[in-house]
Amino acid sequence: MRNISRRTFLQIAAGTAAAGTAIPKLMDMKAFSAAMADAPVTKVPTYCNGCSTGCPMFAYVKNGRLWKVEGHPVAMKNYGTLCARAHGVATDLYNKDRVRQPMKRGADGKFQPISWDQAFQEIAEKLTGIIDKHTGNSVVWMAHGGKESYASLFLDEIGSSNYITHYSTCFTSKTNAWDKMAANQLTIDIRRAKYMLFAGRNYGGAIIPAAMKQLTAAKEQGRKIVVVDPRLCELAKIADEWIPIRPGTDLALFLGIAHTLVSENLYNKTFVQKYVFGFDEFWNANKDFTAEKAAAICDIPAAKIREIARDLAKNAPAAFLDPGYHGLHNHYVSSTQIAQANVIVNALLGNFYQQGGLMPSARPALGSLKPAKRLQPEKGPRIDGAGVPNEYPTVEPGRGIAQHMPDRIAQGKVKAIFMYHFNPLRTAPDPEYQKNIAKADLVVTIPVDWNESSYYTAHYILPEHYFLERMEPPKPVSGNISHDFPQIAMRMPAVKPLHDTKPLLEILKGLTKAMKIDDLYPFTVDDEISAALAPLGIDANRLKSEGCIELPTPIKPGFPEKDGKPACGTFTGKIEFTIGAFKLHGRPGVPTWIPPLVAPKGDDEFRLIHGKQPWHSHSQTNNTPYLLAMTKSYHGTWMWMNRQRADKLGIRNGDTATVESRIEYPGQPARIVRKNMQVKVTEMLYPECVWIPSAHGCFSPNMTYGFGQGANYNDFAPSRVEPLSGGCMVQEVIVKVRKGAS
Amino acid sequence: MPRYAMLIDPAKCTGCGACRVACQMQWQLPPDRFYNRLEFREKGTFPKVRQEIFPVQCMHCDNPPCQTVCPTKATYKTADGIVHVNPQKCIGCKMCMTACPYDVRQPNEKGIVEKCRFCDDYVAKGEQPPCVTTCMNTVRVFGDLDDPKSEISLLLAEKEVYTLLPHMGTKPRIFYVRK
Repeated sequence: MRNISRRTFLQIAAGTAAAGTAIPKLMDMKAFSAAMADAPVTKVPTYCNGCSTGCPMFAYVKNGRLWKVEGHPVAMKNYGTLCARAHGVATDLYNKDRVRQPMKRGADGKFQPISWDQAFQEIAEKLTGIIDKHTGNSVVWMAHGGKESYASLFLDEIGSSNYITHYSTCFTSKTNAWDKMAANQLTIDIRRAKYMLFAGRNYGGAIIPAAMKQLTAAKEQGRKIVVVDPRLCELAKIADEWIPIRPGTDLALFLGIAHTLVSENLYNKTFVQKYVFGFDEFWNANKDFTAEKAAAICDIPAAKIREIARDLAKNAPAAFLDPGYHGLHNHYVSSTQIAQANVIVNALLGNFYQQGGLMPSARPALGSLKPAKRLQPEKGPRIDGAGVPNEYPTVEPGRGIAQHMPDRIAQGKVKAIFMYHFNPLRTAPDPEYQKNIAKADLVVTIPVDWNESSYYTAHYILPEHYFLERMEPPKPVSGNISHDFPQIAMRMPAVKPLHDTKPLLEILKGLTKAMKIDDLYPFTVDDEISAALAPLGIDANRLKSEGCIELPTPIKPGFPEKDGKPACGTFTGKIEFTIGAFKLHGRPGVPTWIPPLVAPKGDDEFRLIHGKQPWHSHSQTNNTPYLLAMTKSYHGTWMWMNRQRADKLGIRNGDTATVESRIEYPGQPARIVRKNMQVKVTEMLYPECVWIPSAHGCFSPNMTYGFGQGANYNDFAPSRVEPLSGGCMVQEVIVKVRKGAS
Repeated sequence: MPRYAMLIDPAKCTGCGACRVACQMQWQLPPDRFYNRLEFREKGTFPKVRQEIFPVQCMHCDNPPCQTVCPTKATYKTADGIVHVNPQKCIGCKMCMTACPYDVRQPNEKGIVEKCRFCDDYVAKGEQPPCVTTCMNTVRVFGDLDDPKSEISLLLAEKEVYTLLPHMGTKPRIFYVRK
């Protein structure tokens, strides 16, 4: 190896700067550190942007360049560790496929650079025209989630009700049911649990590093972990038992467990009497749904269902059925009832607010700036129909419905769309349908990369700083798993911005100023930091250097009570087994068995299910070179198929197959979707389904690393809306598979 | 002088690959070069099936075949147990790649055949390799066999362990926990 002298290094560095492309010159770090031994390494606190877990971490920076990242030892999400995505997304700081300056689509459909000022002026002019003509309620802000406070100020000012998150393509059936039944999203207390049942929740795929640390420790200590999943997922790999289930039938399993708990008198009667409302209504509707009935549907023996119920009861309240996440929620016709049945199983165990069962995750009470009251226009009803009478009255308006935006554009309800770190063309069902977002009068995206939604639909792209370039106010480190003490974390900029980008706050300041809206954001991030920390008595400089701080006041177990009466936050103060809002709109208040929408028939038909690959964060990382290299090493784009089924089709491991689905909308001719996929032939999958990782199928030509790699589950599914919670039901899809490329 | 070694518990590994990318960042490797990898295996038939995952990297053998075959003595072992590559001496003949039964040596962009270094400079300063510290499942334990109180010494005394391909006589410094 040639030693890199200081002089050589400086030449390389100067070359990089002159080219202005900031493509990293990867060099041997040992030589790098030897050459630059006197250059100090600084550790800058931030938190990961690789998924919504947001693990606190440190960025190591040398000579203004990111070297590596390391988990924050205090943080309850990751205890000093990080998954592959965290490292991968950190390296994406230098990904050449970032959007490096504001862009405008020209009349020829091609993008041209535009100055920030010019972009603000043009967008402001168009937006003001749209608002004048169609009201502010024709404007939509779509976001993966995050920085809602900035967007809300803007939407309030122009009179729009339409803050829409990605959650309807993820897990809103869960939050909908849990908020309505328990007024809270409780979290699992792994460290004190004796028996843990996971169904459709894979902490080793959709990774919470601290959960995995706790779970591997629990396994060593002999505490029991049981995983129900059609696939032998990463969590199942370390579990005491993997129980494969027919996909789409988890509701039957949960109802079968509940039936066993009640019929065998194993449930916590004291808890139910004191803290449950609607038990009789639930039991009357389900008293014939025995473990045998459940077994016939979900393909788990009745004896096993009873064994699970008995083991849960034996260990209660230090036992739980994990509340779940993306896996079972929103993706089936029965997802809302699955979430309801989950609440019920846990409540029958009496584990709510109990250590080892379900506990709230401690959250700090952060302060916030109190903006001066402004004269604001009246808002119309939400255009996505969430919470709107005669549309989707029981869907949570705070989360909205993301997948049917093209319909709302076609109906003339939506004229302008902002998409902030949101890419529905890849993350919502049916990309060909989602491409119609381009038909809105104005589409503005605020991404970091050239995602599909920007490439195919945006009129303007306003690139944000990369997260390692941003300072952001404190946020609670909370959720997913229970932790006794509240924590906060913040982001400090690790490196100077590489490109002509801006943070969102500056983008909105620029845009609103151009719209002649006076001083809508009269504050800086430092003002926000001071306001957030004021009630906690923590010095801003301390947080800026420590990055993640734990506060001393712990949460305590015990069902919330007020004046000696249950007060968990629902109308009755109790866990409500029946949802009044559902009944009000003509639907049953309690869950009962609902069969899947579709069922595979014949040798060539399979239900298509998906899940998170442990080194990818859905499509967010599908252009990350380091993570794509891992995909290549481990055949990460391949579709999983059970060996017996593959044998019948003559498919061998690594063969290419044609995967085909039929997409139909009312009043339109059916469309056949065909993709070629390589097949992983495996024993680790339930025979009736095929499984594909959620990461791949990038189709933005400007995402040069990931473009054209693999296919995505959303390719095969029509855009639909489950009426109770707004879910997209993408696992209610049948694909036909045959050997050979199409 | 410490005697470095690593203990890997493959039963705990869930294949997230953080070890690989953390190492790539530590050593600033390009995406397609890596010093550790995972081997995935299925055992049994549905539904009675289990998965095995083996993290594999340079074993820092006490009898390293890559050193034996190296014509220029570019590969050498130090008293602390670490097998090193001297980039000045390496001529890129790739004999070491052929000799290594664990298939863990990779040429870099200059043809120098690299591998895991047990993070030599960093562990000398008392740091832990990032493949160890990033791992959420605590699959790897790194430490000094000469320190009887080190975590690895205590675990090696307590657990039944094995090495990969013992019949090759390589005497690896990476031990695996037997389940």
